[in-house]
Amino acid sequence: MANRSQTVRRNSNWILHLVLIAASVVMIVPFVWMILTSFKTVTEATQIPVVIFPSHWNFSSYAKAFEKSDFTHYYLNTIFAAFMKTLFPVLFSSMAAYAFARIRFPGRTLLFFLIISVMMVPNPVFYTPQYLLMSKWGLVNSVTALWICSLVSPFATFMLRQFFIGISKELEEAAILDGCNPFQTFRYIMLPLVKSALVAIVIIQLLWSWNELQWPLIINSSPDKLTLSSGLATLVSMFSTNYPILMAGAFMAVIPMIVLFFLFQRRFIEGVAFSAHKG
Amino acid sequence: MNSRSRYVWAYVMIAPTLLGTVLFWSWPAVYSIYLSFLKSENFGLVNHWVGFANYEKLFKDHEFWRNLRNTLYYTVLFVPLTLVLSTFFAVLLNAKIRGLSAYRVIFFLPQVTMPAAAAMVWVVLFARDYGLINYVLGTHVAWISDAKFAMYALVIVGVWGAIGFNMLLILAGLQGIPRALYEAAEIDGAVRFRKFRYITLPLLTPTLFFTSVVLMIGATQIFDSIYLLIGKTNVALPAVRSLVYAYYQNAFVYYDQNYGAAIVDVLLVINLVLTGLQFAFQKKWVNYD
Repeated sequence: MANRSQTVRRNSNWILHLVLIAASVVMIVPFVWMILTSFKTVTEATQIPVVIFPSHWNFSSYAKAFEKSDFTHYYLNTIFAAFMKTLFPVLFSSMAAYAFARIRFPGRTLLFFLIISVMMVPNPVFYTPQYLLMSKWGLVNSVTALWICSLVSPFATFMLRQFFIGISKELEEAAILDGCNPFQTFRYIMLPLVKSALVAIVIIQLLWSWNELQWPLIINSSPDKLTLSSGLATLVSMFSTNYPILMAGAFMAVIPMIVLFFLFQRRFIEGVAFSAHKG
Repeated sequence: MNSRSRYVWAYVMIAPTLLGTVLFWSWPAVYSIYLSFLKSENFGLVNHWVGFANYEKLFKDHEFWRNLRNTLYYTVLFVPLTLVLSTFFAVLLNAKIRGLSAYRVIFFLPQVTMPAAAAMVWVVLFARDYGLINYVLGTHVAWISDAKFAMYALVIVGVWGAIGFNMLLILAGLQGIPRALYEAAEIDGAVRFRKFRYITLPLLTPTLFFTSVVLMIGATQIFDSIYLLIGKTNVALPAVRSLVYAYYQNAFVYYDQNYGAAIVDVLLVINLVLTGLQFAFQKKWVNYD
């Protein structure tokens, strides 16, 4: 009896792995195809029947993508915007979140509601007025426009407040007795305690801004002001069916985040999963 | 330290976030509604109040209804499919199996991939004559340029991108179910499917509900994959064009900000209803604990 149930379990385990491996292949094929196609010649990429491997591993499509479009600027703009959209929201939100969580002050509930209420509004609703604001400030088609509207993050403020609320009050009370002002208490006692939440916010902000398409597409149009996302969109209109160049561009755009993901797998998965608990 | 100076600290600490939010987010949200009641001329230099004229035009516009229907149709296909597949794989991974973390990483990979780049690869995979998908399936379908199939292509790309993340959320929900319940069921001789039906599913309902609301909110805002997978010159575009895509076209290609604002305000209403639903049910479930 015991033997039979063990056999059943082993068999079902085998089926389980088969299903999971098949699904994994489907998940990975687009990445593999992206890489393989980027090394093919145009003829190989559009050959019938389909050829899987390129006959030579040539990098010419990567060189051409760099040559024909402004990838250096795409990288610099994306990295800079992602840096600004990560650093400032983390800085501002953690301060605000601490104050909302731990200091009682007149108007606290009202002001907090004012901030988090924008989380219910879908992003495209903001774009036209933000565009008009940028245009008023003469920032349309500038690198500044890529990040300035995202200097603050209601979402990060909301998430971090939840974390500060969850921390016991004893340490904080000791700090106050020792004469720390609220900012010092925040900086030296409380902030180190929410480190894991801060890392999660950093990862979420980084991913969001790296991958964002619509706003960069709307606000900037000169080649040297595009991000990787909006740059890829112009690459598509330039080389509609030159698949090797398109795939080389796509690969260059995704590889930094994928490398970061492999280096910090656990942090990424926890960080992004954390973003879903905003309810 | 007296409480008045603590107030001052609090205001100083919230000031950047508060001012930034009001300037860049709250005011634009309100202004977007105001814009939908105006008619702008000379690139916004002259504005006339026109009341509900933009909405009247919108509701008489067949294209708007078609875009709304496309958006809802995408949502209705994408959300249940993602939910079922994510739950299926979460249940498989909830067993103690070897290679769990490898599977997690693989399934999660699309989540860290730029949607624009992902859509471009799918263009290559979906190609009619020399695409891998038709080659493997032995079909000859114009996935992207045939109005009958374009929506399914979008849904496939969407589900591929969403499974990993939602699977993780559901897996977290599964791991919150006490083992003892399953052990008790095993003593009673319950088989695997019955355990899933009578223990897992009821206890997972709150997780599934929230996951589906978050998915719905995301699905109603679909833009990136339409822009890059389907493209502006594609004959199949009218069959998949979403509200956000129509907003983008009207506001930034045809430069009719007011009409664009009216479109996007309809989306706002849809999303407020979804969020309201989320809050209403959240209250209900929290009381059950």
